[in-house]
Amino acid sequence: MSLLHLAIISPLLLALLVPIFYRYFRQIHTGWFLLPLPILLFIYFLQFISHTKNGEVITETAPWIPSFGVDFAVRIDGLGLLFALLITGIGSLVVLYSVYYLSKEHEKLNTFYIYLLLFMTAMLGVVLSDNLIVLYAFWELTSFSSFLLIGYWYHRERSRYGAQKSMIITVLGGLSMLGGILLLHIMTGTFNISEIILQSGDIVNHVLFIPAMLCFLLGAFTKSAQFPFHIWLPDAMEAPTPVSAYLHSATMVKAGIYLVARMTPVFAHDGIWIWLVAGFGIVTLFWGSFSAVKQTDLKGILAFSTVSQLGMIMSLLGIGAAALHYPQLDDSFYTVATTAAVFHLVNHATFKGSLFMVAGIIDHETGTRDIRRLGGLMNFMPITFTLAIIGTFSMAGIPPFNGFLSKEMFFTGMVRVLEMDIFNLETWGFLFPVIAWIASVFTFIYSMVLLFKTFTGKHQPDKLPKTPHEAPIGLLISPIILASLVIVFGFFPNILSHNIISPAMESILPGLLVEGQAFDVHIYFWHGFTVELFMTIGVIALGTLLYFTYPKWSRVYGIFTERFSLNRAYDSLIENSQTGSYNFTKTYMNGSIRTYLVYIFSFFVFILSVSLVAKNAFVYDTSNVSQIRIYEIIIVLIMAIASVTILFAKSRLTAIILLGAVGYSVALFFVVFRAPDLALTQLVIETVSVALFLLCFYHLPKKRHEERMSFKLTNLLISIAVGAVFTLIALSAHSSKFFEPISQYYVENTYEKAAGKNMVNVILVDFRGFDTLFEICVLGIAALGIYAMIKLRMTRGKEG
Amino acid sequence: MTNLILLPILVPLLAGIILIFFTKNIHLQRWLSGISSLATVVVSAFVLLKVRQDGIQTLALSSWEAPFGITLVSDMLSALLVFMASIISFACLIYSFRSIGEQRERFYYYSIFQFLLVGVNGAFTTGDIFNLFVFFEVMLMSSYVLLVLGGTKIQLRESIKYILVNIISSALFVVAVGYLYSIVGTLNMAHISQRVSEINQPGIITVIAVLFLIVFGLKGAIFPLFFWLPGSYNAPPAPVMAIFGALLTKVGIYSIMRTFTLLFPHDTGYTHQILSVMAILTIITGAIGAIAYWDIKKIIIYNIIVAVGVIAFGISVMSYDSLAGSVFYLIHDMNIKAALFLLVGIMIKITGTSNLRKISGLIAHYPGLGWTYFLAALTVAGIPPLSGFIGKVILVRSGFEEGHYWGAAIVLMSSLLVLFSVMKIFINGFWGEPKDYPEGKKVPVNQLMIAPVLLVIFAIFYGLGIEAVQPYISQAAETLSNPDIYINAVLKE
Repeated sequence: MSLLHLAIISPLLLALLVPIFYRYFRQIHTGWFLLPLPILLFIYFLQFISHTKNGEVITETAPWIPSFGVDFAVRIDGLGLLFALLITGIGSLVVLYSVYYLSKEHEKLNTFYIYLLLFMTAMLGVVLSDNLIVLYAFWELTSFSSFLLIGYWYHRERSRYGAQKSMIITVLGGLSMLGGILLLHIMTGTFNISEIILQSGDIVNHVLFIPAMLCFLLGAFTKSAQFPFHIWLPDAMEAPTPVSAYLHSATMVKAGIYLVARMTPVFAHDGIWIWLVAGFGIVTLFWGSFSAVKQTDLKGILAFSTVSQLGMIMSLLGIGAAALHYPQLDDSFYTVATTAAVFHLVNHATFKGSLFMVAGIIDHETGTRDIRRLGGLMNFMPITFTLAIIGTFSMAGIPPFNGFLSKEMFFTGMVRVLEMDIFNLETWGFLFPVIAWIASVFTFIYSMVLLFKTFTGKHQPDKLPKTPHEAPIGLLISPIILASLVIVFGFFPNILSHNIISPAMESILPGLLVEGQAFDVHIYFWHGFTVELFMTIGVIALGTLLYFTYPKWSRVYGIFTERFSLNRAYDSLIENSQTGSYNFTKTYMNGSIRTYLVYIFSFFVFILSVSLVAKNAFVYDTSNVSQIRIYEIIIVLIMAIASVTILFAKSRLTAIILLGAVGYSVALFFVVFRAPDLALTQLVIETVSVALFLLCFYHLPKKRHEERMSFKLTNLLISIAVGAVFTLIALSAHSSKFFEPISQYYVENTYEKAAGKNMVNVILVDFRGFDTLFEICVLGIAALGIYAMIKLRMTRGKEG
Repeated sequence: MTNLILLPILVPLLAGIILIFFTKNIHLQRWLSGISSLATVVVSAFVLLKVRQDGIQTLALSSWEAPFGITLVSDMLSALLVFMASIISFACLIYSFRSIGEQRERFYYYSIFQFLLVGVNGAFTTGDIFNLFVFFEVMLMSSYVLLVLGGTKIQLRESIKYILVNIISSALFVVAVGYLYSIVGTLNMAHISQRVSEINQPGIITVIAVLFLIVFGLKGAIFPLFFWLPGSYNAPPAPVMAIFGALLTKVGIYSIMRTFTLLFPHDTGYTHQILSVMAILTIITGAIGAIAYWDIKKIIIYNIIVAVGVIAFGISVMSYDSLAGSVFYLIHDMNIKAALFLLVGIMIKITGTSNLRKISGLIAHYPGLGWTYFLAALTVAGIPPLSGFIGKVILVRSGFEEGHYWGAAIVLMSSLLVLFSVMKIFINGFWGEPKDYPEGKKVPVNQLMIAPVLLVIFAIFYGLGIEAVQPYISQAAETLSNPDIYINAVLKE
């Protein structure tokens, strides 16, 4: 356990204190008690920059389950640190924001902050764990803290729906990732990522390599809301806005990005990885931005925009991984995509975080987030308006904000795909820049919708639940800080390049560097009149045009009716799987014991006869069998006839007498086989039970209610088959005596050692007296049970 | 040779007998049964430590040496299961104090409860196949009584079915033992194992192995033999349901584990293949059942079936790792199923219904119940670091390793359906608008919460402290994967 471990679990520890803060310091907003922690952690993690900058990696290990190779190994490298800073940095701002956003009078702040702290620990754990099992544990913890936060207002139907949806989809991915982890462990014998990376060259041809990769990708794609798994993210917007800003845009949804980046050194040796990551990313980019335009809820727009931006980062990671196959090109020709990915990751956190907070402010101050009701707010909320301009322009890729820089680099990365000639990228690779450009047009449009529909146009006070006014300063601090970062990173991107971006890239593409070398990252505005610049100009031009002509082409969205949407598919999957399961289960669980017995005996006959045949197990050996005598045949016939007649007996009395006949015949058998004491026992039992039956019947009502059972041929066949199988196995078992039975010992020792003269008695009370003891016990229990059953008749009351 | 291993059978037996004489004095009954249950926990803990220290413990009853007399054998698996059974029955007993009601208490409830534990502990401990049958009978007879005790309509109806199925399976059991005796001429399991391997498990023994699989599959509720279970477990009150769900099916599974590793391990290509198919179908049908219902009892009941399938899958893979995984999972599942049934019992107590559509918003008034349930739900779905996780991981990994890709993948993905089914209760029952129930605003549940909270705490420690548990499990798995250890301990004293 080191300070680093403590840093990771410190939010969890603080969470334990939250109930105390909440209960005993009701006057002070609980958030204030939390705020120092993420700030301290942020500062703590900042100091690691000086290490990671020089390519150093800090590792600490605390044992958990060493016998299975599972240790709480923490590893800080460029990539992990970048995420840790995002988590704690944005975390601080979000906590601050939430203090003003959530009222201390009306909200259950204790649960809210416990969930939030839980998430913080979980997320730090995901990005800093070097052990995949521990990573997985934290991964699931992020899913569940997200689940709880989405369902925070649990009395709302939509919140519960969104929570369940996010849980199902992300846990599906999590389980798949776990499968991938186990497959990797089978291939490499370790759970430690750094050790797996060392072996990555050896496992690439392993038969489990591709399945493991697919498992990991499913995990990453579900978590990072990649098409078609993105459907949970828009519904996750039911969470309070600070949560949306934190989990569902800046951090948790980037866990999938993190995973892909982290596993790139392991899996990128195969072209499938590049195709899948880049392919899913680019499709998500397009679909997200395309869908965002038609949204009417501010947070809905932001949700789809997040989906789209995550797709963009994903595709960049995919393309950037191709650089691993061009080690000879060292002028960052292909690694530019990776640079863009990391850079945009940071940028997205800043501008999207501030935009979510702006959306929260608008909701808070006007009472609605519906852009059809909003409009003309710039006069009422000038500061918020300014913040929104910075955020949306950066998102749209307009200079001089940081979004422009990363968007340019994104275009560069995509255009360079055209030059690649590996893994058939020369065939369909040209689609990447094309789709990227189209998607950027839509990005531009929804950014403008977000800004102008809210702040310009006609003010509609009658449609707003509240009279709008500027937000209190407390709500504004956090988005102001984020917006300032948007500008600072826009003008001075090289603050990040050596401290953050380059070390992170080293983690993603470790094979490309020789010892002591670092990625040379320079980011600047002006590249000359390049393709990328014209692409940007094109985006702005076409985007503006389409923005103004939106009513003319909005019918496009009519093509994708609700009926065929993915959400509809998900809903009907959930609904149909439940009703389908119910119908399926009902068909065989019909509550009738007869049916169940038919199943059981059919299975019995089937599996045993198959086994008899398959194992060639039927043996019939008459060498050791004595002559069958005529009275044995007679007894058997009596038994058979009596048994069959019972089934057709009309009166109870007949049935009992027939039953007695069967029992007495058995006793006769004992006589014939020279076991007089057994015969005696059997006779006594039969006599007593027949007598008891008759006695009972005296008290039963005269009329016997009888439902006539219809004759069922299948049941007859099954019963005959059961008998036949029994007989066949019995014959075989009898014919294959391999050993002298232990009973010989009893014959020899009954008198000698047990000092008894009747062997059966001695077996019952001495050799196997333990059995007898508990058989007596069984009878005793039965007696108690029958007594209780007769005496105690409770009406169907409350059970619990 | 030690008498110690007899104690977990003897203590409840004596307690059960003594309790018969004090039916009128309920307080005394509670005290007596509580003390005896606690004593059983203590002695079983001693057995556990003893086995850990000195290896397999045996006891030849009446000093008739194996294989001629009856031998009790406590290997690590037995000791662990006896320990768990004692803990769980203790928890269910505490819960019963506050919930079972005076009427049942007057009619030998506590007595029968102890007898049930006698049967369960005996079945786990015996080393004799016929004696196993006897303990099955003790256990089943007690379960018949517990099921029918109270005599409500649903109880009577379901008891008939339950008794019928179990009588049939008992008959099959005796017949199977008879067949086996005819061939190998012995009843001591170590001796049977030795003799079967001497003749290299001929075809007829394999057929009998399948017959045993049917017998124990009926008890353990494996597809396609589990049909009796959902109805009959639905009938009795919560603590009985909990102890049935936690212990009875597990005795069946234990018996499969025992017979398929010790007696019939020579034709795994056939017998274990059958088991594997049955296990996977069990998981699938169980999971389908679990998501089908909106009845909170039924949801948990079908989850029993899923877990049985998972454990059976581990047995069918039959590698050291998979057996260890099965043992991990078995112990976890006994614990958490008991907890879930008790929690569901409390929900029913509060709301007066088990229909999930009529329940909502419980967490507003019962946060403790809600969060305990939440943790239990995550545990049962195998979310790390709670207890279901490690067993599942080892099982799935060994499945992949041995080439059972589909089976392992189904085990893994069954977690999702399990999670869906149990979280359905959380999302709809605990979340949502609080409702008024016939019982009034606030039902006192604190004392009822003790038992499930203890069990959930156990689940947390079992998950986090897996390193401490691991030596026990690997000792158990070692014996399972190497029958010679067992044989030598029993026959070459």
